[in-house]
Amino acid sequence: MTGATLTGEVSLAAPRRHRPVLRVGSWLSLPVRPRSLVLGSILILAVLVTGLLTLTLGKLGIALGDLVPTLLGEGEGRDEIVLTAFRGPRLVVGIAAGAALAVSGALFQTVTRNPLGSPDVIGLTAGASAGAAAFGLMWPGILPLPVGALVGAFVAMSLVFFGTGTGFSSPSRMLLIGIGVSAMSLAFVQWVLVRAGREQATVLATYLNGSLAARDWDHAATIWIAIVVLIPCALLLSRRLQLIEMGDEQADALGARSHSARALSIVVAIGLATAAVSVAGPISFIALVAPQIARRISRSAGPNILTSALMGALLLSLADLLTQQLPLPVTLPVGVLTAILGGIYLGYLLIAQWRKGTI
Amino acid sequence: MSRGKSGTGSVASAVPSETRLAARNLRLAYDKRVVVEDLSIDLPDGGFTIIVGPNACGKSTLLKALSRTLSPQSGAVLLGGKPIDSYRSKAVARELAMLPQSPIAPEAITVRDLVGRGRYPHQGLLQQWSHADEVAVVEALAATGCTELAERYVSELSGGQRQRVWIAMVLAQQADLLLLDEPTTFLDIAHQFEVLELCAELHLQGRTLVAVLHDLNQAARYATNLVVMKAGRIVAEGDPGEILSAELVEEVFGLPCVIIADPVTGTPMVVPQAGRARP
Repeated sequence: MTGATLTGEVSLAAPRRHRPVLRVGSWLSLPVRPRSLVLGSILILAVLVTGLLTLTLGKLGIALGDLVPTLLGEGEGRDEIVLTAFRGPRLVVGIAAGAALAVSGALFQTVTRNPLGSPDVIGLTAGASAGAAAFGLMWPGILPLPVGALVGAFVAMSLVFFGTGTGFSSPSRMLLIGIGVSAMSLAFVQWVLVRAGREQATVLATYLNGSLAARDWDHAATIWIAIVVLIPCALLLSRRLQLIEMGDEQADALGARSHSARALSIVVAIGLATAAVSVAGPISFIALVAPQIARRISRSAGPNILTSALMGALLLSLADLLTQQLPLPVTLPVGVLTAILGGIYLGYLLIAQWRKGTI
Repeated sequence: MSRGKSGTGSVASAVPSETRLAARNLRLAYDKRVVVEDLSIDLPDGGFTIIVGPNACGKSTLLKALSRTLSPQSGAVLLGGKPIDSYRSKAVARELAMLPQSPIAPEAITVRDLVGRGRYPHQGLLQQWSHADEVAVVEALAATGCTELAERYVSELSGGQRQRVWIAMVLAQQADLLLLDEPTTFLDIAHQFEVLELCAELHLQGRTLVAVLHDLNQAARYATNLVVMKAGRIVAEGDPGEILSAELVEEVFGLPCVIIADPVTGTPMVVPQAGRARP
């Protein structure tokens, strides 16, 4: 687009005091929610602060004054190693994995029209654990653990897809079959753990809780490629998803073709969740909780893709910061912490719904 | 034009329709359960067609097919003479709007935002909120008396208000054809008439309306074209004053009744014979 078209015609017009709209000439008009913009800025700031704390706190932390030179590649050797080998990749993976899980959850919750719809509930996370258990302990050495998790996730999703008899088009069937697949996957994991030797089981248990310890730049590249490709896909689908919220029939009547929108969204959601699980293990609850909080604070219907992504990035990086800095005798895997916090939130959510009389 | 039983014989799909919206030899089914078999209908342009019939006679199913949210197993719905599935789905949505029986209001949505969603078929990826969209929403809110409610959350509204908001959403779609599936269900009698008056007004403004209703007397008052269905077939079709008879009601609903002139409108009024022997 040429500069000439842009100049003088860019306006944040608020026709009749209603919603502000970003207009550029006649070819672009996007509604803008001021609240979402403010929220987005606050969340970005919070993620940056969390990142800063992650890099600077603790025994290994880079002193605040040395941080900028280290980031520019001019720091001391020790600081460089902390940045490039320990905390840097871990932080970068954590932010992206959190965003991926959150968007995955936002998509699942919208297409199932159920606040509990998430990769945790429909069996994807448990399937990934089962895959990790199978290839980590039962047949070690065939596949690396993360790839094993990926295979497990795909097997679980195929079971759900064929188990429903209608693919991914019926949300309630998906949730029911997903819960079943989840239970079977977890039973399989238990069985493998019981059979395995104690030492091996401990190693696997750490992975199965979801951990960001010892990540490297390959992990970072994997998850960032996934979110850079798939989050825009989610954004493209989000307008049709807004209509699916009103029921498939209404969405179809408005021309949103609910079946294809749902199927595509689920593919994108599975892609994001498996990418996250393959680099960070089956971290629980971020996918469930982040979109809920995003919806609540942005006070807006719809999948809220970007707010959810930022919220997920913040929650996971914050949880990881806590696991690194909490004065505990053992370092917790981050998944344990998210499970504790998420469990509390889930309880709150159920009580709130129960009070409202919706369950 | 469309009086009595129409559409017989298997070559009828070649019969051109004289109306914008028509159906030819529809066979409608959910999986293997056939609900409607070999049904043809023309919906008069500019008319207010009301479809009545006993429960499970296929009237809502027919409406779903007409709005192409249910694809027929055979036969075709014709829009402007061409099969409706030959159009792009957004193009159909600009011509034809449908309000299902129980649409779901998303959590935390304001009236204005909900009505704005009716603009989807007019929008594109880069054109998500044009001046025309804004105007259409303002007009739809005004036409349904919802202007004052615009900033309220849909979840806070009463049943009657909510139904008006949904109709506003359908109006914002700016389609000439409006399909309404039981728009008065769950409303008290005053709100039922409020919604029907609104429909009548939209009809007077030149829109073509097709609605499914349960109440025969309301249907007789408002319809310019009454369609009576039973067991997936159209039993009678035409001006309510001409077709609504005690024999028809007894045949279709199994309800003995007398028909008198409605004291207010002069349209036929069905008075059931049940309950009269009570001391």
